[in-house]
Amino acid sequence: MRRHLLVAAAVAVVVALPPLLSSSHLAVFTLLGLAATVTVGLSLLMGYAGQVSLGQASFYAIGAYTAGLLSVHGVPTLVGLAAAPVAAALFATVVGVSLLRLRGHHLAFATLATQLILLSLLARGEWAGGAIGLQGIPRLSIGGYEFADDLGYAYLAWAALGLTVLLTANVMASRPGRGLRALATSEVAAAASGVPVGRYRLAVFALSAAFAGLAGGVYAFYLGYLAPGSFPILLSIEYVVMAVVGGLGTVWGAVAGATAIMLLVQLLTTIGTQPGMPSYAPSVLSYAVYAVVLVLVVLFLPRGIVPAAQDARARLLPRLASDRPKERPDGGPQGPGGRRHRRWPRSRAGLR
Amino acid sequence: MNAARGLLRVDDLVVRYGAATALDGVSMSVEAAEMVALIGPNGAGKSTLVNTLSGIVRPASGTVHIGGRLAHVPEGREMFADLTVDDNLRLGGWRNGRRGRDTGHVYEVFPELAPLRRQRAGRLSGGQQQMVAVGRALMARPDVLAVDELSLGLAPMVVASLVRHLRELHRERGLAVLLIEQNARMALELCTRAYVLEAGRVVAEGPAADLAADSRVAAAYLGGPVEATR
Amino acid sequence: MSQLLEYLLTGAGIGAGFALVGSGLVVIYRVTRVVNFAQGAFAVIAAMLTSSLLASGLPHGAAELVAVAAAAATGLLVGVVAIGKPGTSPRAALIVTLGLGVFAYAVEVLIWGDQPRSFPGLAGAVEVAGARVPTHYLLVIGVTLPVFALLAVFFARTDLGKALSACASNRYAARVVGIDVTRMGLLSFALGGALGGLAGVLVTPVQQVTFDSDVTLIVNGFAAAVLGGLTRPAVTLAGGLLLGVAQTVIAGYGGGAYQLELALGLMLAAMVVQAARTPAQQEATL
Repeated sequence: MRRHLLVAAAVAVVVALPPLLSSSHLAVFTLLGLAATVTVGLSLLMGYAGQVSLGQASFYAIGAYTAGLLSVHGVPTLVGLAAAPVAAALFATVVGVSLLRLRGHHLAFATLATQLILLSLLARGEWAGGAIGLQGIPRLSIGGYEFADDLGYAYLAWAALGLTVLLTANVMASRPGRGLRALATSEVAAAASGVPVGRYRLAVFALSAAFAGLAGGVYAFYLGYLAPGSFPILLSIEYVVMAVVGGLGTVWGAVAGATAIMLLVQLLTTIGTQPGMPSYAPSVLSYAVYAVVLVLVVLFLPRGIVPAAQDARARLLPRLASDRPKERPDGGPQGPGGRRHRRWPRSRAGLR
Repeated sequence: MNAARGLLRVDDLVVRYGAATALDGVSMSVEAAEMVALIGPNGAGKSTLVNTLSGIVRPASGTVHIGGRLAHVPEGREMFADLTVDDNLRLGGWRNGRRGRDTGHVYEVFPELAPLRRQRAGRLSGGQQQMVAVGRALMARPDVLAVDELSLGLAPMVVASLVRHLRELHRERGLAVLLIEQNARMALELCTRAYVLEAGRVVAEGPAADLAADSRVAAAYLGGPVEATR
Repeated sequence: MSQLLEYLLTGAGIGAGFALVGSGLVVIYRVTRVVNFAQGAFAVIAAMLTSSLLASGLPHGAAELVAVAAAAATGLLVGVVAIGKPGTSPRAALIVTLGLGVFAYAVEVLIWGDQPRSFPGLAGAVEVAGARVPTHYLLVIGVTLPVFALLAVFFARTDLGKALSACASNRYAARVVGIDVTRMGLLSFALGGALGGLAGVLVTPVQQVTFDSDVTLIVNGFAAAVLGGLTRPAVTLAGGLLLGVAQTVIAGYGGGAYQLELALGLMLAAMVVQAARTPAQQEATL
């Protein structure tokens, strides 16, 4: 019950906030919604499938370019938006079939490599506008209503987030969701219990891609133009930082992490654009902060802010899964036998 | 009770892994040139105790006193599989510094290993690996050898041969041995004194013969009463 | 024919640089099981530092030495943060090195700005069987090969090298025997730093270095190292050379700029093939 109240309160805040924000803050709010949407998927992937993806921005880019390209070529914008997550998920599935066989760092690097290849191809492809990018993406219209101003896109972005949150909640509550949680705790045990590990991993990968793709689609209509330069590797790293900071495998962690990082970045941009600062100061400061935050969280708050906050005090924030997905257990020792607690009188044979 | 410290003495040792208590106030000792057995079921904490003795695990409280050198033969042999037998042995002398890594004396104890010097340790049989593991421990010129599950996964004849080597080392060099074993029968036959560890606590201790004759020990660990062989 | 030879030698020169970066990765991974995503930063920092030192009057040779030493120190620092805290899993350490790589990026831009830099290397070109090869490429090859040979001897013949290999082979047994695994890990990070720095110092005269050239360097270094399973220096060398030559030959004859895709594609293929060959290779810590 309390959880539902909190959710309702959060929704109310999200609905009420945008009209009150200045236009630059509104932009941040919109981007935050998009970033959080991507991060939810990534958090799922890292928390439950245990994969580190350093190329999540690839799916964001694919979603954006799909929506953009289709619309630029006359396809109704709504179709373009719907196609975005589908295209991203398809790409993830095709790529994931071979890549997901890789483990840990191999996969991390493979996702990075995939993004680099994708970006390179996009920069070269004249059909995608090349390095300059895709211009003139029409405004999104749904059933006659045209999203003409920033306010509409702000709501749209957060609506996308809401959709992904709902979807995730439903998935986690279902039987496959339990299988996923088993997967997170121990792959070997899950496989032994009949959980189709490979298929689930691929499904989570594709789902996370779909979320990112959806966000990308909204982004395309919001911005009206796209360039490969908008999807650098550092963006993927940003998502990783958000996911890790917030807490892997928790939806609210993703939102919290995204919010924390975004606000931090805004603060730094403000500092970095003070008169007298060199032109590259904002990005340098952001990168420095991403890095420091990431390192500090990984070392000292390994499960992220949200689980740590939950540990520190009574549960104020609603959690989605009732079991916590554990980091890969590092083979802790068997606890004391605990089976036969036979107590014998010590045979004192002159030893003590 | 003799106030002298002795070769190895553990007092009220408590070891925790996170929330779980693996050793709950364990006290035991090994005197010079003694052969002491530590028996008990899986998960009782035997390996934890040895790991604490060799410094790999830090206790939460309690003391460990080692008046001499202790070398650890780990459970499951734990070879450096990609390195040669000779390299494995040499590394056993790591603590000795550059000059203390000559492996000749180990091949005297285990002549069977000499022809295998250049073989990758991962390719050896279980019994051969166990010899390397013991040899590696001997490189440290220990006063007490802590052997964890010598017999695990090895054929009885191989185990017998290893036991012979241990007896020889004990006889000829006065090497003390702490034998951690699930094979209680073998341990109680070989050693003069024994401890029984269950769920992190010492539940019985005394001369090996006495414990072997104890009907409850026999029932739990020996599959029935055993004639004292001493 | 001499054109091909020219491409081969030039490509080998470039590839040797990749191999050096990759060797740093291999050294660190062998000992600590951590993939060091900050590896490229060592090269960039060394290169930038060299150009600064040269500009301030320090002679050639001395400047490079100082730079490599600085890279080694940076490596040590990365190691301290990544594995210094007991209980950090390799996966966590990987993410930490990623963060440190980004941090290094920020530091580089802060100190040296965002413009590309270079410095002159060995000037001139040499005629080899009719092919004109810039001398500097021969220098790169000439340094890389002995370095790899030294590494091989170090790991196989010296006690310290064996102890390092032991940490990689069986961490628990290493601790049983009394090896300070953490210290060994830090040593490997320092060594990895030096190797990365050496790569940066050697490669810069022929390829301008900027703060984001470390992505290219690390990608190619990774590709080379991955071909060797991240553990075998010899294969890393071969892989690096192969990559360099392939890229140069294709660029020379094909006229395109698909080096990056080639490197990445090869690496991905190698990883997938390796994964298929050892399906049971479960990394308990990843």
